[in-house]
Amino acid sequence: MSRVLTIARAVIRDAIRRKVVWVVVVFAALLSIVAPNLPSYGVGVVSAVYREITVALMFAASLVVTIALAATRIPVETERRTVFTVLARDVSRWHYVVGTWAGLCAVTGIAILAFGMAAIAVGALVYREVMWLLLAGALAVWLEMSVIAAATVMSSARFGVVTSAVFALAFAFAGHSVGGLVSGGGLPWFVPTLDVFDVVNPVAHGSGYGALYALGMIGSCAAMSGLLLLVACALFDGRDL
Amino acid sequence: MIDASAVRASSSPEVAMPALLVEGARKSYGREAVGRADAVSDVSFDVQQGTVHGLLGPNGAGKTTTLKMLLGLVRPSAGRFEINGVPADARGARSNLGFLPEQPYFPTLLTAREALVFYGRLAGIDADRARGEAGILLERVGLEGREGTLLSRFSRGMLQRLGLAQALLGDPKVVVLDEPASGLDPVGQRDVRNLMLDMRAQGASILLSSHQLSEVEAVCDEVTILDRGRVAARGDIDDLLNVAGRTSVRARGAGELPEAVTHIAEDIAVDGGIVVFAIPDEQVRRVVDLLDDAGWHLEAIVPKRESLEDYFARLLKRPEHQDGGEPR
Repeated sequence: MSRVLTIARAVIRDAIRRKVVWVVVVFAALLSIVAPNLPSYGVGVVSAVYREITVALMFAASLVVTIALAATRIPVETERRTVFTVLARDVSRWHYVVGTWAGLCAVTGIAILAFGMAAIAVGALVYREVMWLLLAGALAVWLEMSVIAAATVMSSARFGVVTSAVFALAFAFAGHSVGGLVSGGGLPWFVPTLDVFDVVNPVAHGSGYGALYALGMIGSCAAMSGLLLLVACALFDGRDL
Repeated sequence: MIDASAVRASSSPEVAMPALLVEGARKSYGREAVGRADAVSDVSFDVQQGTVHGLLGPNGAGKTTTLKMLLGLVRPSAGRFEINGVPADARGARSNLGFLPEQPYFPTLLTAREALVFYGRLAGIDADRARGEAGILLERVGLEGREGTLLSRFSRGMLQRLGLAQALLGDPKVVVLDEPASGLDPVGQRDVRNLMLDMRAQGASILLSSHQLSEVEAVCDEVTILDRGRVAARGDIDDLLNVAGRTSVRARGAGELPEAVTHIAEDIAVDGGIVVFAIPDEQVRRVVDLLDDAGWHLEAIVPKRESLEDYFARLLKRPEHQDGGEPR
């Protein structure tokens, strides 16, 4: 386990110094700051619309960060052979895959939290309301990004950067569309869908979600990520470097 | 996965196990239906404890693939790989092994110290010890004062030195070095050579893959030469390079060699007043007397030795090699 954490720490340290993470987060935060000044913004429920925009921005920004980091990490390390000095030690390939994913999740989490806190601060200044519900939105977005990171890592364990990035986008799209493809209502419980993390309505227009729902999201995230990482480890394990 | 400690415990302590063992290694790419290609066909060698073993061969000979199979980076098609008597893929087998890949790269946004602490933690060293070792090793490879520099600012040679430092973290008993002098200036190459000799003096076993034949000749006790995925020759470097039955004579004198000597001598090379030539072993006493009578001064009489470069070139010109057999 300590090797997984060591690899995760290295991923965090490396990723946090990458400009792409902070450029995206700062850009999204700026959009969030200017959102209250948009011309069509006076429709009466301004703080709810602000929360909706903020969660959407949070999702878009973290999706860019997640894919940018997750699709590149393993292919680049393999191509540059930095992975050799790691795997030649007493480090299993699953340590490397899971450590990489854990590090990516932590970076995404830090970025989402930073953005969420900035958005709460803006909300407090503009609307005189501390919007703690945005943190509930941040948690859901983070859990979804963890699943998308696992899917991207799975693809990048075998394929290159472009393929993995396209796969990640397709996975995110399919994960939200699969429900709509089924006629006659909801999906059976065992069909995985990313819609479980879609909490825009309760966060923006309602009173958030309960602890049970949060636990359900965490469970879904763990199950989906676990399954994807299992495949990722198998793919990476059979690969010649 | 097998546990290395259990295998070690069951091994007999009296048997001097090799530090590294590669037996019948084979790596094939592609499917049989579309034509299989062997990167490595049949490679076997071992590295004895406390020795430096050179792995030589032209490009494409299978050196790097063999090393990668040993280190678990490439899945072998066949073969046995052991580190200190333990299957190389067993848990813990590589815990006491350092590896320097050819032209190593590192995460560029880490500092030299962070990178070494990272690799130290992976080697099972705690953070404090890793920090301490990082400082010592950076000094040992000539990177003192660079602890806080981002690796993106390191030159090729500096990265090579850092690669050596990370390979030595945790004081490994077995070290695998793939082209360790690559990208280094002559002073750096000398430092690497001295480092390897120091490590051997401290009891470490080293597998050195290199194109720099002078480096191999200077530090290796044994060599294995690969060609087209097979072992072309292997053995003690002196046994391989010493020309059986021939003695090299180095003499200084005025004028020409005595005629009787010229008839016996071969490979005569003249440089100023110094003449170097080879003679059959049984003629040594006679030649010494002849030179002495002619007023020549003998500077050296040693077994004739071929340069590794010549040996290597001659060996690889041969159409077929016998595995492990004497090449000459």
